[in-house]
Amino acid sequence: MHEIKTKIEGLRRKFDEDGFNAKTLEDLQELRNLYLSRSKGYIQELFDDLKALSPEEKPEAGKKLNQLKAHINRSLRKLHQKLNTPPVPGSVVDLTLPGKRTYWGAPHPLRIFREEIECVFLRMGFSIEDGPEIENDYYNFEALNFPPLHPSRDTWGVFHITDDLLLRTHTSPVHIRIMEKKRPPIRIITPGRVFRKETPDSTHTPAFFQLEGLVVDYGITFAHLKGTLEYFLKALFHEKSQYRLRPGFSPFTEPSVAFDLRCPTCGGEQNDCRFCRGGGWIDILAAGMVDPQVFKNVSIDPEKYSGFAFGLNVDRIAMVTYGVLDARTFYENDLRFLRQFLSK
Amino acid sequence: MKIIVDWLKDYIDLDVPMSCLVEDLDRIGLMVSGKSENEYGTILEIEPPPNRPDVLGHLGVARELAAIHGLSLKGNNGTLTEADVPVDHLIDVQIWDDEMCPRYCAVVIRDVEVEPSPEWLQVRLRALGLNPVNNVVDVTQYVLFATAQPLHAFDFDRISGSKIIVRKAKKGEKIRILEGGELVLAPDCLVIADDEKPTALAGVIGGQDASITGITRNVMIESAIFHPVPIRTALRKFGIQTEAAFRFERGVDVSFAPKAASIAASLLTQMGGAAAKGMIDIYPKPVKKRTVVLRRHRIKELLATDVKEEFIEKTLARLGFELSVRQQGGWQVSVPTYRVDIEREVDLIEEVARFHGYDKIPSTLPPMSGLEPAFSPQRCLLEHMRRSLFHSGFDEVVNGAFSSEERESPNHPKQKVIEILNPISARSSVLKTTVLNGLLENAEWNLNRGAQGISLFEIGKVHFWEDDQAKELLSLGLVISGLQGIQNWQVRPERADFFHLKGVCEDILFHLRYEPVSFLKRDHSRYEKDFCLSVLVKGEEIGTLGMLNQSLCESFSLREEIWGAELNLTALLAKQPQPFNLEPVVKYPSVIRDVSLLGSENIDF
Repeated sequence: MHEIKTKIEGLRRKFDEDGFNAKTLEDLQELRNLYLSRSKGYIQELFDDLKALSPEEKPEAGKKLNQLKAHINRSLRKLHQKLNTPPVPGSVVDLTLPGKRTYWGAPHPLRIFREEIECVFLRMGFSIEDGPEIENDYYNFEALNFPPLHPSRDTWGVFHITDDLLLRTHTSPVHIRIMEKKRPPIRIITPGRVFRKETPDSTHTPAFFQLEGLVVDYGITFAHLKGTLEYFLKALFHEKSQYRLRPGFSPFTEPSVAFDLRCPTCGGEQNDCRFCRGGGWIDILAAGMVDPQVFKNVSIDPEKYSGFAFGLNVDRIAMVTYGVLDARTFYENDLRFLRQFLSK
Repeated sequence: MKIIVDWLKDYIDLDVPMSCLVEDLDRIGLMVSGKSENEYGTILEIEPPPNRPDVLGHLGVARELAAIHGLSLKGNNGTLTEADVPVDHLIDVQIWDDEMCPRYCAVVIRDVEVEPSPEWLQVRLRALGLNPVNNVVDVTQYVLFATAQPLHAFDFDRISGSKIIVRKAKKGEKIRILEGGELVLAPDCLVIADDEKPTALAGVIGGQDASITGITRNVMIESAIFHPVPIRTALRKFGIQTEAAFRFERGVDVSFAPKAASIAASLLTQMGGAAAKGMIDIYPKPVKKRTVVLRRHRIKELLATDVKEEFIEKTLARLGFELSVRQQGGWQVSVPTYRVDIEREVDLIEEVARFHGYDKIPSTLPPMSGLEPAFSPQRCLLEHMRRSLFHSGFDEVVNGAFSSEERESPNHPKQKVIEILNPISARSSVLKTTVLNGLLENAEWNLNRGAQGISLFEIGKVHFWEDDQAKELLSLGLVISGLQGIQNWQVRPERADFFHLKGVCEDILFHLRYEPVSFLKRDHSRYEKDFCLSVLVKGEEIGTLGMLNQSLCESFSLREEIWGAELNLTALLAKQPQPFNLEPVVKYPSVIRDVSLLGSENIDF
C-alpha cells in the first residue's frame, strides 16, 4: 500500500515537471499518450497494480489515482489553451478585452435643444432673461394687447390660480417686465416653461418649454426680423433646410408672420407622414413686429422705436429633429430613451 | 372653416389651378390646413386668424383672392317678389339695449311652404358637412356660410303680440332651446323676446317656442348685430358653441345686415313665398367708417421695402378700402365696416405686406451697436453645475409641473401648497413644492424596467404660498439608489450609499467655488430619522441631504434604499462664489508626512 502511494506521488511530480517543459502542441500530445494511453500509459499501469491490493486498501488508493488522473487532464487542457493562443509581444494580457469605461450622466433632450438655441442667439448678442411662471392677467394678457373678453384669449386654455393669478401661457410677460425696467436697445431671449390647459396627447402636454425673443431699437424693420430668424433656422437646421414665411396672427405683433420648415422627416414627400400630416410643412416659429399698443403699455414711443418678437416651442422642435412621435416621451424620463442623448 | 371652391366662383371668376389657390391662401395668411375631394368638388379647410371675422364666409375669402389676382367681385342682386303689406304693419321691433344690439334688421315672408330645399341648396350644405333641415332653416344657414352674417328664422305666427324686443333677460327667466333642454337666464344674457317670453338667446341659439315647424306658414328672418360680450357670457355660462355665436364673438359687419336679410328674402320668394314690403331696420346709432392715415415713409420704415404706390392703392381698393391722397406722401384710408381688425396705420401696413409678399422683403441682421455684452453669470453657474453632475454619472430628467395634493407637503409650516382652480385632473391639481417626488417617480419607472441602479438629477422650479405671496424657487434634486457606474470584467459596480451622494453635493459646491460648506444633523419629514443633514453655505441652509423616508418611498412603490438631496438654487445662486484665484506652484516637490492624533471615540469627524 505504501509503495503504491509513493508511486502515485512520484508520477505526479514527474508529470508536473514534464508539463512545465512542454513547449509545443506536439509535446502535449506526446505527454497525453505517455500518461493516459489506455493500453500502455503510466496511469493504466498503476491501475493494473491496484489489482494486487487487498479489498480494504483498494478504495483509498483508487481515489488517489483518480485524483491524479483528473489533475493530469486539467493541466493538459490548460497547457493546450495557453499554447494555442498566439503570443503577444512583451505581454501576457489579452488586450482585446474591453476598456474601463466611465459612467457619464446624459443631458435631457429638451435641455440640449434649449442650450443649442440659446447658443445661436447668444452669438447674435441676445442676453437670456427669466421671469415668474405664476403671472397675473395684466402681464400675461392685457399688457400684450389681449383685450378682456376677446376670443384671442381662447387660443389657449388657461390654468387659473386665483381671480388674477394664472400660470403663464407664454414667456412674453417677461418681455413686458424687461421693457418696463430697461430702455432700448433691448435684445433678449426668454426660455422657460409655459402652461396651456390641454388634454395630454401625442402632440400636447399641459406644460412645455418655450423660447421667445425680443429686439427693440431705433429703426428695427421687418427685414431685421427675417434676417435674424433665417440666421437662426440655418444655424439650427443647417444650410440645406427649406422654410417659408406666411402671415400669422398674434395680438402683440403687427404685422405677424409664421415660419414653416420643410418637414425634416419626409421632406414633404409622404402623404401619410406622421409629423406634417402630409402638408409637407411644419409650423416652427411665430413672430412679428411689436404692436405699437404694446410699446405704449410700457411707455416706449412707437414712433421713435420699433422692434420684433418671436417665439418657438422647444418640445416641438426637439420632436421634429429627433423624430420623436409622442411629446409625452420627454417627460417619462425612461433611461433607455434618455441615455441615447449621451452622445449628443 | 370649410371652403367649397365652386362656391367661391359665385363671387369671382376664379381660374387658377388648385395648387396655386392653396399657395395663394397660405401666402395671405388664410392657412389651408386640409384639402379633400368629394362629389361636391374640392373642399378646403382654412384657419383664419381670430381677428378676421370677415373671412368666415365664402364672400370674404373671395374678396381676398380677388385682391391677389386683380379681379372684381361679381354683384349679386336677387329678385324680390314683394307683396303690398308693409312689413312694419306686421311686426313691431324694439331694441332696449342698443349697445348690446346696435342694429336689427328683419324681413317677413308670407305663405312659405316649409319643405325640403331645392337640390342646389342641399348640395351646398351637404358639402359643408351639414344636414339640410328645410328650406327656411337651410336658407339662413346658406347666408351665414356665404356672407358670415348669422340669420335666425322665427315662425311669425308664434311671435306673441307681433312684437320683437331685444332686451336683457330677467333673473330666472327660462328658455327652451332648439337643441332641447331649458336654460335659466340672468340679466347678463341678451334675449330676443316677444311680448311674453324670450324666443331666442340673442346671437347664440333660437328657442323652441317660435321655431320653424312643418306647419309654419309665415316667417320672420332676423339679421341683427350683437355685441361680443353677451355672446361670450352666454357661451361660458351654458357651455354651447354655435356657428352664429362664433361669428358674433369675433365681430359681424354692421353694414351688411340689411343686405343679408334681402338675400334670404329673395331666396325664400324664389321658393314660393311672398315678402312683405320693405324691411325692418333699427339702427339707432349708425357706425361711421373709421379713417386711418397711412404714411408712405412709415411703410418703408417698417418693411424696409419700397412698395409701389400704385400697387398699394389698387390692393387696398380691391379689399374695399377707400383711399384719398393726402399731402406729405400718404393716404387717408377709409376702412370698410367688415374689417374690424383695421384700426391703426400698422394694421394697414400689414395688409400691404401680406399682399406684397413676405418673401419679397429683404433679410438683414440688426446692428449690434449700443448693446451690452450678453453675459449671464447665473446661466454660467447652472451650466457648470450640470457639467459637474454629468461627470459624476447623474442623468438629467425633466418632469411635469403638477402633482396631487396628498403628495405635496411644503418645507415649513408657514408655506402652503398652490392649488390650480381648474386642474385637468385630481392627480395634477397642485403645483410641485419639491422636485424630489418627480425624481422618485422616475426611480420607480426605471427600476421597474430593468435598471440596476439610478442616479438622477432635475433642475426645476417649485412653488408655494408664503405670507399670501406666490413664491417660486429654482430647485436642484438628486436621487441615487442601487448599483452605480459601469460593471466590467475587472470591477463590480458599487452600491450607492450616503457618502456617495454627500460627495456629489460637495463636488458641485466645490466646482462652483461656494465656500465655506458645512453639514449639520437635522430632522426632516422627507428623510429617515438620524439620516438627514442640512447643507450650509456660508452658514445659511441651502438644502437637505439623506436617506429618503421609507414610507415616502413606499408611496412610490419603491422598496430599495433611496438617497436624496434637494438644494435651493435660488438661495445658492444669490450668493457670491469665491473669486477664482490662481496660486503660484511651489518649485519643490511635495513631501508627505504622517501625523497621528489621539481623541475620544464619540467625537464627530
